[in-house]
Amino acid sequence: MRGAPIYIAGMGIISALGYGVAETAEALKEARCNLRPLTLFELTADAPLAVGGVTLETDPADPLPRTHHLAHMAADQALADKSLALDAIVVGTTTGGILTTEALLEKSVAAPHCYRYHGVGTVAEEMARRYGCSGPLITVSTACSSGAVALLLAMEMLRRGKARRVLAGGVDSLCRLTYFGFNSLQLIDPIGARPLDRERSGLSLAEGAALLLLTTDPPAEGALQLLGAGLSCDAHHATAPLADGQGALAAMQAALADAGLEPAAIDYINLHGTGTPDNDLAEARAIQALFGDRLPPLSSIKGAMGHALAAAGAIEAVVAAIAIDHGIVPANVGFGSIDPALNLAPVTVPLRAPVTTVLSNSFGFGGNNAVLTIGTQRGPNCKPSELPRPPLTVTAAACLTGAGHTQETWESFSSGRQCSGCLDDRTVTEGLPPRTVRRLKRLPKLALALASDACRTLPAGRIPVAVSLGTAWGALSETHDFLQQLFETREQFPSPTDFIGSVHNAPAGQIAMLLGAKGANVTTSGGDASFEQALLAADLLTRPGTDPILLLGADEAQPVLAPLFDGSVRVAETLADGGGALVLERGSSHGGPTVALLEYRFGLDPDWMTTLIERLGGADGVERDYGAILAGLPAYCCTQAAEQLAGFLSQTHFGGPVIDYRRIIGQFGTASAVAAVLAVQIVSRGLVPAPLSGGSDVFLNGKGILVLGLGTYLSAVRIAPQ
Amino acid sequence: MEELIETLKIKIIEILNLPDVTPADIPVDSDLMSSGLDIDSIDMLELVILLHKDYGVKIKNKEQAKKVFASLRSLASHIMETSPGFVK
Repeated sequence: MRGAPIYIAGMGIISALGYGVAETAEALKEARCNLRPLTLFELTADAPLAVGGVTLETDPADPLPRTHHLAHMAADQALADKSLALDAIVVGTTTGGILTTEALLEKSVAAPHCYRYHGVGTVAEEMARRYGCSGPLITVSTACSSGAVALLLAMEMLRRGKARRVLAGGVDSLCRLTYFGFNSLQLIDPIGARPLDRERSGLSLAEGAALLLLTTDPPAEGALQLLGAGLSCDAHHATAPLADGQGALAAMQAALADAGLEPAAIDYINLHGTGTPDNDLAEARAIQALFGDRLPPLSSIKGAMGHALAAAGAIEAVVAAIAIDHGIVPANVGFGSIDPALNLAPVTVPLRAPVTTVLSNSFGFGGNNAVLTIGTQRGPNCKPSELPRPPLTVTAAACLTGAGHTQETWESFSSGRQCSGCLDDRTVTEGLPPRTVRRLKRLPKLALALASDACRTLPAGRIPVAVSLGTAWGALSETHDFLQQLFETREQFPSPTDFIGSVHNAPAGQIAMLLGAKGANVTTSGGDASFEQALLAADLLTRPGTDPILLLGADEAQPVLAPLFDGSVRVAETLADGGGALVLERGSSHGGPTVALLEYRFGLDPDWMTTLIERLGGADGVERDYGAILAGLPAYCCTQAAEQLAGFLSQTHFGGPVIDYRRIIGQFGTASAVAAVLAVQIVSRGLVPAPLSGGSDVFLNGKGILVLGLGTYLSAVRIAPQ
Repeated sequence: MEELIETLKIKIIEILNLPDVTPADIPVDSDLMSSGLDIDSIDMLELVILLHKDYGVKIKNKEQAKKVFASLRSLASHIMETSPGFVK
């Protein structure tokens, strides 16, 4: 436990079990099973499978996708009767607008504005507009652990005093991608999920949302808290969990330690319990390793409402709160008989018992584990708050652009030549084992090449154990190919490999396997601020003296989808992709330059520029601290961005070199990751080369570089000498 | 039979994108997953699709999958016995 307690001041939930906390509590008390055959979209071939769907009437003319509506319904509840401003929104989602996108792609709709809500980051953006929040916004996309990871990041934001009120949780709608994807993996139980049961044969998909208002302000009544959280990564396989449960165990131990609690303090375990043979086995082993023969009551609610993927972790956080508030342990609906391989007996009928402290598990593809502890009382083993924290220092860096790997990119960039373009796959993956990349398409190849390049010169003890990756659009090739094959074969033969690869966090999962990185593994996605979100997440996840973290930003220029989704790609002359990677340690004396996210806001309020300049110490501070500016002007709003930049320059009278880096690196969401790496290069060399300054070499004289992100997101990253 | 096995080898290399594997490397009479070629459960799912798509053969359950995919030879003989294209 670090810093102030984190209170749950509001909760909203919508799932197959009902709308709102009261309805959900009733359904849990009655052990209702609400899995029904899918009706959301037409199927051409097979009979519909049982899903946990939500009844939701929307206007067909409403362009807002189903995921966004679900999020609004949960958020409205969480924020009811609250008039105070929100400081941040952290939401986990894997689907975003994909349900709408699928229908559009099937009809070959080519109008880009129809796809404007595709990005997973637009869920948080729409909530920010709805509730008047200017951010920071973070969108977490770590498959089935997304909702729990979002709550962890929100908690860290509050503990660090970066916010007082954060809306956080998860949301996902049913869609063809996940429905046919999980089916292609043979991970769906045809008669409905039966978690822990001997005959279980898979999960049931579901949809829903849960959002929680978290705050450091002590509430007038009730004192339910998010006590702690823990993350880990199996670094083992794209989909299958580590069979001995060691990854899950590490996350559970971390969540208990973070709350200052011993296992004996837990009086209910809310299982991940999807009903797949592998998940339930690994989870059972982890639980037995941690609790021995002193098992508290435990159950999975996924036999009752299905698996709502990114929403699941947040939904189950609300279920944990209901368990405490109502003194009830929910039943493990769908369970019939004990599996001797698990030797785990869940609660089969709702149990009336006082509950004070709940452990809630969420595990996802890529071996991505997240565990929360929710309760009324912090443990006695709390560690004190640990401010101030030393800065994040760069111990290694790498980038990829159309010009080549790091060295080639730097040579082009520093000579004032173009870097934009798409490096051929063969050159991207040179140096990576052929078998490692054989099943991978563009984005995971870029990500693995960046990770491998960045870590190549590091000694064994300095290799990153945690990963934070930002991507504007995720793995577009896999998404495109999966859907195309689904449509072409009339839903008969979608590729399981493409489905696995289409998940936003698949590239970060591949990196974990390559490096053996078993710490936190987070993927963020929010348009042009995706890399900045990953930097914020990395900052929140790293504590002094902890192991190194690999921070990346990468995007691929899939020729069909990238122009449809990204306005800047559409107006750019050439397709461009690539990314950047930084290995960071907090307070390392071995490190090079330091990296800090000074400001990150959403929206076009001109006041933010003034706030940013104040944050930088006014005109004097900018002059004192910065020798050059790398400015990111997204092409889709270049006029607006140019006005923002002109405003910044006129208010600060900055006279040093200002480099419009997207013109050189290319127009893609995470071009700022490349800019950050190039800024590290400039700071390490101590000068801005003449071709970039527009005159002669400009010496930095100990000053740093400001990487400015403009457009609908305003961000400022400082790269400075140590 | 031998001809079908050779065809299957080429299809497997192509579909699973095994860059450093030649048809001669693929064992005929032993389990593909323990062949040292890094073939895993996801690859096997791709082969289930190949079987259905190219030969019209559907695998009904995991027990059957285990039997059919025990080796390349058992796979080929299952195709010859059940594929509409091979039934005499």
